[in-house]
Amino acid sequence: MLEETLVLFRNIRNPNYDKSLKGYLASGGHKALKQALGMKPDEIVQVVKDSGLRGRGGAGFPTGMKWSFMAKGTGKPSYLVCNADESEPGTCKDRELMLKDPQQFLEGMMIGCFAIGCNHGYIYVRGEYWPSIKSLNAAIDELYEAGILGDNVYGSGFKLDLTVHTGAGAYICGEESALLDSLEGKRGHPRVKPPFPAVSGFNGCPTTVNNVETLACLPYILTEGPEAFKAHGPENNAGTHLVSLSGHVNRPGVYEISMHASIREIIYDLGGGIRGGKALKGVIPGGSSSPVIRADEIDVNYSFDGLSKIGSMMGSSAMMVFDEDTDVVQLLHRITRFYNHESCGQCTPCREGTHWARQILRDFLSGNGSDRKLKRLHRVGQNMSGTTVCALGDAAAFPIMSFVSKFPEEFKNYFESTSPIAA
Amino acid sequence: MFSPDIQKQIDHVLSRYPIRRNALLPILHLAQKDNEGYLTQEVINEVAALCEVTPTHVEGVITFYTMFKLKKPGKYHVQVCTCVPCCLVGGTELLEHTEERLGIHAGYTTDDGVFSIEEMECIGACSYAPAVIVNEDYHEQVTPEKMDQLIEQLRTQA
Amino acid sequence: MPVFYLDDQPIEFQPGEKVLPAALRAGADIPHYCYHPGLSVVATCRMCLVDVVDMGNGRPIPKLQTSCSMDAAPNMKIVTSNDKVSEARKLVMEFLLINHPLDCPVCDQSGECILQDYSYDHGTGKSEMEYNKRVYGIRDVGTFIQLERNRCIHCTRCDRFTREVTGTAEFGMFNRAHELTVDTFADRPMVNKFQGNMADICPVGALTEKEFRFKRRVWRLKKTPSLCLGCSTGCNTSIEYDKNEVFRMKPRENQEVNRWWMCDEGRLTYRQMNQREGRVMKPMGRIKGELQAISWNQAFEAIAERVKEMKPQASEVLALTDTRASNEELFMLKKLMRDAFQSSEVLFPMPSWEQPESDFFIDSIITTDRTPNRAGARELGLKGDTDGSLLKQAAEQPAKVVILLGNPFEQEAAAREKIGDAQLLIQVTPFLNEWSELVDVVLPGQLHSEKVATYTNKDRRVQRTEAAVVPPRQSHPEWEVLAGLMRALGQEPQVDSVEGVFAALAQEVRSFAGMQLSTLPATGQVLPGTVDDPGRAVKRLEKSSIA
Repeated sequence: MLEETLVLFRNIRNPNYDKSLKGYLASGGHKALKQALGMKPDEIVQVVKDSGLRGRGGAGFPTGMKWSFMAKGTGKPSYLVCNADESEPGTCKDRELMLKDPQQFLEGMMIGCFAIGCNHGYIYVRGEYWPSIKSLNAAIDELYEAGILGDNVYGSGFKLDLTVHTGAGAYICGEESALLDSLEGKRGHPRVKPPFPAVSGFNGCPTTVNNVETLACLPYILTEGPEAFKAHGPENNAGTHLVSLSGHVNRPGVYEISMHASIREIIYDLGGGIRGGKALKGVIPGGSSSPVIRADEIDVNYSFDGLSKIGSMMGSSAMMVFDEDTDVVQLLHRITRFYNHESCGQCTPCREGTHWARQILRDFLSGNGSDRKLKRLHRVGQNMSGTTVCALGDAAAFPIMSFVSKFPEEFKNYFESTSPIAA
Repeated sequence: MFSPDIQKQIDHVLSRYPIRRNALLPILHLAQKDNEGYLTQEVINEVAALCEVTPTHVEGVITFYTMFKLKKPGKYHVQVCTCVPCCLVGGTELLEHTEERLGIHAGYTTDDGVFSIEEMECIGACSYAPAVIVNEDYHEQVTPEKMDQLIEQLRTQA
Repeated sequence: MPVFYLDDQPIEFQPGEKVLPAALRAGADIPHYCYHPGLSVVATCRMCLVDVVDMGNGRPIPKLQTSCSMDAAPNMKIVTSNDKVSEARKLVMEFLLINHPLDCPVCDQSGECILQDYSYDHGTGKSEMEYNKRVYGIRDVGTFIQLERNRCIHCTRCDRFTREVTGTAEFGMFNRAHELTVDTFADRPMVNKFQGNMADICPVGALTEKEFRFKRRVWRLKKTPSLCLGCSTGCNTSIEYDKNEVFRMKPRENQEVNRWWMCDEGRLTYRQMNQREGRVMKPMGRIKGELQAISWNQAFEAIAERVKEMKPQASEVLALTDTRASNEELFMLKKLMRDAFQSSEVLFPMPSWEQPESDFFIDSIITTDRTPNRAGARELGLKGDTDGSLLKQAAEQPAKVVILLGNPFEQEAAAREKIGDAQLLIQVTPFLNEWSELVDVVLPGQLHSEKVATYTNKDRRVQRTEAAVVPPRQSHPEWEVLAGLMRALGQEPQVDSVEGVFAALAQEVRSFAGMQLSTLPATGQVLPGTVDDPGRAVKRLEKSSIA
């Protein structure tokens, strides 16, 4: 029976936990921060490298390595920007951390700022997350009042300000360079790379963008050591992971698991199985952009490598489970509609392709599907993938291509069935 | 002209960024709050001057982000998520129920100006689906019955 | 210089240069829409995708790369002729065309539209799109250009132009996804003086010049390199004409002068090239108080006779010229005055002007002096009148014989009246003007669109024009008219071509030494020495914070 491994959620799962600064300090908070302030920034970067921490935003890039790319000696300020623009459908893990234990995340943010020499960190929170924004602002106010944030963090001479920045409803701003454009007060268009943010990011200054969960791991890594963190997952997949479980399960929720867990265990042990005792049809394992997997593919590790072995990806570790009664064409239409709505529109294939694919899928839903259109849908998907500035083109294409190849019979049912409006 | 309280908040926001343009999004949120939930040409011009950008830039930004409105919303802006996880567990039905209940299509405001409905893309409450935001507050695992209660409660407050 | 290989063709590049610009410089064509050398790289149209089969280290890049944003590397091998690349181009073309109205028959861009060209070269010729196209209404965005959003392919060159080149940022992107479009704020039309450039850089017919719409199919236009004589910047231009009618003037790239740009006012100066009202078609003499057509011989004979009668002293002869006159014309005027009258009294207006400068290059492109060849006149040692004092002095001591080139000192009515009292006033000009009411003889000159001539711009760059349209039959270039006058006055000009005049000038004026008209580089040649125009006051503009 799979159970949670509590690292990030060790406070949240305590029913008596007081999320204020006082409560956080009482639970051992800021031990890591004080420890970090006594280290050299390079030493912290090395510890994070040793821990094997990989970014929790979707791409799984090693965090320590990302930090080490920061341009030095440019004469410009360095910035740490936290990506809290959690928008990938299915994902709601960062919200949990910001709402229920903001101080832990902020401690990680402060450690990160110190490690890369940033004196003003920005936390880019998606605009809809009003409760999280209020929770973070209250927590930051507490830190200022306690004299922790400001000109002299814990008497170390390190100056640090933190600001919560509100997004305004654009999925694409979760892409780090679009996020920086948005933070600069522009439309959130992904930038062409290179230059990478570590060289030219926020206002042209060296910038690192890290996910909320990634930063929240830092206090644990520093206090317990990189080896302890590593032990929570298989080789190359260090640490625990917050999985946002949603869809047709009995107990949807955000769970903290070690990366040794399998998808089956997560669905049946933590999620309590499929609602109404129905059979599982498929799982979208890592946010809506990850390729869908069928019910017979769920016996793999829910880890970066486990999923890539079966041609999918862990992405933002948002698992959406759907049962046997689900209409996958409708589901794909809903996903494609999302990516069409959220495309920034700058690249030709994504701007035109997402809308075209959506129109074709609409045809299926209104009983006008055909084999020819199915092929065309697949071709449009193919033409979008790998041909755009950012990964949104791929994100829109993966579901299309995987749904069409994993559930071809369901699409065929739509136009081969005798009834004009199928299923 | 902004109200004194909002002006104070705007000044604070401006002090948090290296250049004024950076503060554009937070300021637009504040300006919108100050103007019954939407942005007019006049407000756009004012914000543009404040952030030292052109009105064209500001409108380009506004039309990029879904949370900025150029049309006045209802006093209670009911935002129903119908994106993937919500859609799997009844989000679409909930939206239809809300539309029927309030007698307006998503994207519109009731004649008395109390309610408006918006169909949302993922609002990040996936494990608590279906979810609804009313103004700034989340409501989770909303059933049609809970929606009815919520609407009644808001109507009496209005 | 290091080299990379584009389809086996070696291409030299400067370190740090991207693949696309290096290839374009070498004359190779990689199709592209959003890339423009004068704007930042966004790499969004995806048309310039290439296959990097070897990064220069033996390893390929698996995904196709946008050549506009990719750094060239030594010995890199790039392929554009394989199926992978042509497939990618096909799909970009298909995506671009699904919402394009395909209204080429009524589109002014037709014929110079790269969407058309690339469709032909790289497209599929058919589309599987079977849904309604996106449709936008008409919007009036500015005085000079017309916006037709349905044709837009979202390359965003226009948006980047107003942000990065003019710094005005009054034109930009709105909405997102498939509804992305370009527009101005509400009903606020554009204010910048360089809108025509947006039509130039628009790869399709989304932005066209109002002035040119529905006037002529572009494939009927012939193009001749020329200059704009609106001010002393000397923007390089191309005169575009059909059947001896000029339809538009477009900027011609010259990195040292105007880069790719020019101002709208300059563009409109093409109108004058077609103007027939007030155009001097034949020599005219004042007979019984009225200007009447006479022959060239009659004109020269009459002038020679009057001069012989008057026997003017050197101090009794005056020449006035405007600064639209070319270097050769100014030289001949100077020579005429010296050889025939032993006078050096050639005056030209040299008003002061403020030269704006800012971080935006375009700010310095318009000069308010409106004295296009003032630097040439100064170089030739003519007398520049900065504050009107020289003209006033001349008006106080009226000359007997006055030679006028063009329309000099046009604002100075009082001086004109006094100088007009001279016994013999000779004017060489393409158009009648206020002076013409006073003169005794008007000799038809030509416009710079009709002749080969050189002009010296404010930065002492000597640039030439070519003859585009055919001038009125009886007119002659001014240098030839002045040479004729010399002959009539018994002096041998010793020149019989504009090249000859230029050669004589180069012989006499030290800073022109060694220059030849026939070998003058296409981008012009800067005279040695420093820019020391006393009328030039640099005005530093604040950098706009808009980005």
